[in-house]
Amino acid sequence: MASAGLETEQAAICPMGGGDASLLARVSLTDPEISARPKPYYDAMRAEDPIHYDEKLGMYLVSRFADIQTVQRDPITFSVEHGYSEQYAKGFAAEFKEILIRDGGGFFPDAIMTDPPYHTRIRKLMDHAFSAHRVKLLEPDIEAIVADVIESFADKGQADAVKDFSVPVTIRVICQQLGLDATYADKIQRWSLAVTAQIGRMQNREQMIANAEEICELQNYLIERIKLREAEPGEDMISDLVHATTEDPENPKLTFAEVVSLVRALLIAGNETTATAMTNLMFILATQPDVAKLLQDSVDDERLLSRFVEELLRIEPPVRGLSRMTTREVEVGGKLLPKGAHMLLMYASGNDDENEFTCPRNFDLNRSNLGRHLAFGGGPHRCIGLSLARMEIRVAAREVVKRLDDIKLAIPIDQITYLPTVATHSIERLPITFKRR
Amino acid sequence: MSSLTVTFVEDNGTVRTITGVAPNQSLMEVGRANGVEGILADCGGACACATCHVYVDPQWEDRVGPPDDIEAAMLDMVSEVQLSNSRLACQIKLSDALDGLKVTVAPIY
Ligand code: HEM
Ligand code: FES
Repeated sequence: MASAGLETEQAAICPMGGGDASLLARVSLTDPEISARPKPYYDAMRAEDPIHYDEKLGMYLVSRFADIQTVQRDPITFSVEHGYSEQYAKGFAAEFKEILIRDGGGFFPDAIMTDPPYHTRIRKLMDHAFSAHRVKLLEPDIEAIVADVIESFADKGQADAVKDFSVPVTIRVICQQLGLDATYADKIQRWSLAVTAQIGRMQNREQMIANAEEICELQNYLIERIKLREAEPGEDMISDLVHATTEDPENPKLTFAEVVSLVRALLIAGNETTATAMTNLMFILATQPDVAKLLQDSVDDERLLSRFVEELLRIEPPVRGLSRMTTREVEVGGKLLPKGAHMLLMYASGNDDENEFTCPRNFDLNRSNLGRHLAFGGGPHRCIGLSLARMEIRVAAREVVKRLDDIKLAIPIDQITYLPTVATHSIERLPITFKRR
Repeated sequence: MSSLTVTFVEDNGTVRTITGVAPNQSLMEVGRANGVEGILADCGGACACATCHVYVDPQWEDRVGPPDDIEAAMLDMVSEVQLSNSRLACQIKLSDALDGLKVTVAPIY
């Protein structure tokens, strides 16, 4: 039962995970059924073995809220750079790199997936573009895109929330921000999947080669756009990055290779993640009628909408596992990890931690610690695009409940499929039916 | 060039008075540059994380002023530890008028 009413009955008994300890010995996050429906695995870890070593994956899964926070706040002991490069194209890294150098204009390591102090410099050059105040100015543009996309299917009575709604909205928004051509939407979608597959740990060699070719095409396109913006700045984020400067006289600007990697990161990081959140929005509206009703009754209540967005991200975080690597021997959550231990931060598990969130499976807009969820990570790597993502989801929630009514799933819940990746928990297709409001 | 003095009281009670502060930066930047405990500033001053949350000393509340809507929405996300004098330090721009400002750092969140 969802408790989205104004009075929360925290005392009421809520469904608890408990956890089936035998699962831990038997399964891996890379098993398709576990990857699709991981909650029992998370529950078992939190209860029995909070820093669980998943043998098949070869990683320590950090499952408790407090431990995740400890790790993200110490970027030197727990290195993103080492964790990410270890994860990237794992098993095929050398061949992958070769393909990119041969066909994709070069291999551009992710400038943002690095450690301080280098990372601090990169963030300083980017943070300004994403301030909450700047993003607020984008609201009318985002609203126009969302409304246009919804109107394209509102009269049909049925749609695939992923293909018809979430993906086109997010791609159009990020293209507008980066000054890219939105008619490339299909390509951008394919490119995104190809890039995220590199940290997904579930691709075979053939898939890696196909993905690498997609990434080459993406890079060649971006390189062309970036060169254009170097010559002729416009009102977009590529121009901001190309022309951003710091006070550091030695090293005032981003290099070309850094810009390529950052534009690629923004395009990808801001795309599938936000699209997944929007699909989850439809899922919640379709499966929790009292939440849908509450939103309908209060579409103009900005505070409620903001809270709705945060609780949506807490209860279904799109990003479920990003990596770190220890740079020294260190104890976390009672377990001694050697230097070089590869870890995955299980955000969804942290968001379900009963020690942090009362009745975590309840969709509860009145939590007093709503902002503590881990959907955007935390510490110095906390999501850069979070204000943009929040704005997109908020506008989407408002426009959907204004325009559509009686949203229902058109397939049974247990037939919903998810992308095969450990990095995100993304619904692949979500057929829904609805009426126009 | 004027230089200012600001005081942070950390959550554990330690008083950190910082002198020689240049104006035209945010209170968060001063806290972070001086390693004030509890000023994590994850989002780098983008008003998007609430890890630079402070309570403005009652004597200074009028001069500092209230948060705008966007900041207030962010503070609402941490309502558990929000008080009537809560502000996000990254949204407090320092100037001569705030010379002597005193704030208490909210518990680490
Ligand atoms: C609902 C949507 C989103 C979710 C759930 C999400 C989630 C996350 C998470 C969990 C991290 C932390 C990485 C870590 O600690 O290792 C992150 C980082 C990042 N996100 Fe997002 N994100 C979203 C939207 C966006 C958007 C719209 C953009 C850009 C336009 C973006 C750009 C980035 C970048 C560049 C980083 C790397 C930051 C760093 O390492 O310093 N994200 N995101
Ligand atoms: S530094 Fe993130 S809100 Fe102030």
